[in-house]
Amino acid sequence: MINTILIFPIIACILVLIIKNKTFNTWMVNLYAVLHFVITVLLASGHGAKNGIPYFAVDNTNMIFLIVLSVVFLMVAIYNTGYVKNLDVPDRRISHYSFMILVFVLSMTGTLLSTDLGLAWVLIEATTLSSAYLIYFNKTKHSIEAAWKYVFICSIGIALAFVGIILLNVSSGAVNSMNFAQLYEHASGFDLAWLKLAFVFMLFGFGAKMGLAPIHFWLPDAHSEAPSPISALLSAALLNSAFLVIVRVFKIMEIANCTDYARLMLFVMGFLSLFVTTVFVYHIKNYKRMLAYSSIENMGILAIGMALGPVAYYAVVLHLIGHSLAKASFFLTSGNILELFDSKRIKSVSGIVNADGKTGWLWAASFLAICAFPTSVLFISEFLIIKAMILQKHYVLCVLFVLLLTIILFGIGRVVIKMTFGELSEDKAKLIEENKKKVSLWMYVPQVIMLVIVFVMGIYIPDYLNDIIKLAVGAF
Amino acid sequence: METGFIILFGLTMLYLAATSRIIAHIRLLIVQGVLLFLICCCGFEHHNWLNIAFLTVETLIVKSIVIPWFLYKVLKKTHSNRDVAANIPHFYCLVISSLILLAGFLASNYLVSSVKMISPIYFGVSAAVIIISLWLITIKHKIISNVIEFITMENGIFLLSLSVAKEMPMLVNLGVLLDVFIAVYILGLFVNEINKEFNDLEVSHLSDLKDYEYND
Repeated sequence: MINTILIFPIIACILVLIIKNKTFNTWMVNLYAVLHFVITVLLASGHGAKNGIPYFAVDNTNMIFLIVLSVVFLMVAIYNTGYVKNLDVPDRRISHYSFMILVFVLSMTGTLLSTDLGLAWVLIEATTLSSAYLIYFNKTKHSIEAAWKYVFICSIGIALAFVGIILLNVSSGAVNSMNFAQLYEHASGFDLAWLKLAFVFMLFGFGAKMGLAPIHFWLPDAHSEAPSPISALLSAALLNSAFLVIVRVFKIMEIANCTDYARLMLFVMGFLSLFVTTVFVYHIKNYKRMLAYSSIENMGILAIGMALGPVAYYAVVLHLIGHSLAKASFFLTSGNILELFDSKRIKSVSGIVNADGKTGWLWAASFLAICAFPTSVLFISEFLIIKAMILQKHYVLCVLFVLLLTIILFGIGRVVIKMTFGELSEDKAKLIEENKKKVSLWMYVPQVIMLVIVFVMGIYIPDYLNDIIKLAVGAF
Repeated sequence: METGFIILFGLTMLYLAATSRIIAHIRLLIVQGVLLFLICCCGFEHHNWLNIAFLTVETLIVKSIVIPWFLYKVLKKTHSNRDVAANIPHFYCLVISSLILLAGFLASNYLVSSVKMISPIYFGVSAAVIIISLWLITIKHKIISNVIEFITMENGIFLLSLSVAKEMPMLVNLGVLLDVFIAVYILGLFVNEINKEFNDLEVSHLSDLKDYEYND
């Protein structure tokens, strides 16, 4: 099973490069998405987990990450089918685009499944390199700037993470392996001074990829300049893959009895992320950048949840699922708005509901999902995180957390409401009538599915999913 | 012998800090590659043949032939010879880099007694090289210089990985090599694209994406 999920895209890549046909290439991506989803479902139900290849395996921790990636990728692939039809570019570039999507998803899947820290590092770097082309796809001055910053900042971050891995190797003494299971087994005997140093480097390196605050600068640029399906993949899948590595490294710290130190670092970075979002979300002129900042905020919440310890792990997993689905839906809808209004400026967009009712309501609903409006699953997760803070008597932090979230909510809400329900001018309406043809049914369905999942999960989580979440929480 | 090569490797960073001609920086990358190869050679008796082959390919072929050659091609295409307008004059660059290198040596001196798993002189010099590279990235104005300093940083990290008394798994080494190689390749391609788009390689052109005065 695992071999198929990893080998199929390689074959598909070769086919896509040979047969440069728009329809064929798009459907190759779709085929991989469906295959990915089917295999993930099979793996989740316990089939075929055994006959893997060395260095790759599913375990309790990465199962839930894999499911999220799979669902998001399937939805993005559906959207992509409609999106690619509107692209007025030669078939050769579509072939490169599909090729890079396949490599990007392959490297993310590989990162999630890898059982070896070194290999996870290599694959995380591979995600950077493959998504750089996707960010640069529009070939404008802005997109090249975004792609350059992305590759450069992330490569340096990842290089520093490698320093962390070398230092971990030093601290691990006689253990000559980067295998997670072996690291966990021997973690209690590690040299603490070196381990702490290693953790700092790894948190900064993988944190740069995850979009945590002091090293988040690439994120708003890259997310806003990439084509919308890619923004959705970046935000809803890539950040999670980096988070998984941090979770695994954090577990080494836990076993080695260094939790206080690691938690403090996560707390600082988490709150810094919230703070940065709060400051910037108010002056934002570009709605895709706004969504990117919201991703930084949510990554901050995940970091804070991790820092709170085992009481909040359940909330972290729920938040991860909710954020990925809601944010993917938000980004995909922003793609519709971009098609309709031809502008990323908040000023030039208003009255989406009058222009195109479905897009308007999806935009509003995605906002409700991301701002944790009940019954969004994010409501449950944020509520549980606040509860964990109160239980641990972090009253000041709790107040700060709620305050920052409220300010961010107001900042985003103001913009979304203005964009959705404002006045629509005459000449804009004409432009939109023309552009409406571009937005096909493919570009509504995925958002609806994801939002339904998000809102239903707030009231009802099916037992089998709950079991998987609980296993993940236990293995965190 | 080994220590001599390592110190020479550290000193190459001073040359990088003190010069502004980019072609000289690229030649310096060749020197660094060869030095790294010589440093590896000193430890060859501890390795098996597979590792020796791998290290030779990595240092001699990739680090001192392929990457410099590729950068040289990029340089010729983009006609950027000098990085003149650095934020800090070369003299101060040199002083600050020397101080960082000195701190590296001092740190390695202190570390001698306290650690067993790591050779101190390797550790001190590689830490200094990484820090100097990161610092130079922040003050240089041409993006091609940034790429060169990124590579020197990777060289520093390579030296650090040699310092660990045991080997990293082969698979990881290969992956790292491949990733660095592709990263340099992609960065080089972007240098070309940026040159085409902006007719210049100044970092200051790449500052249009921001939150306040956004013009799209």
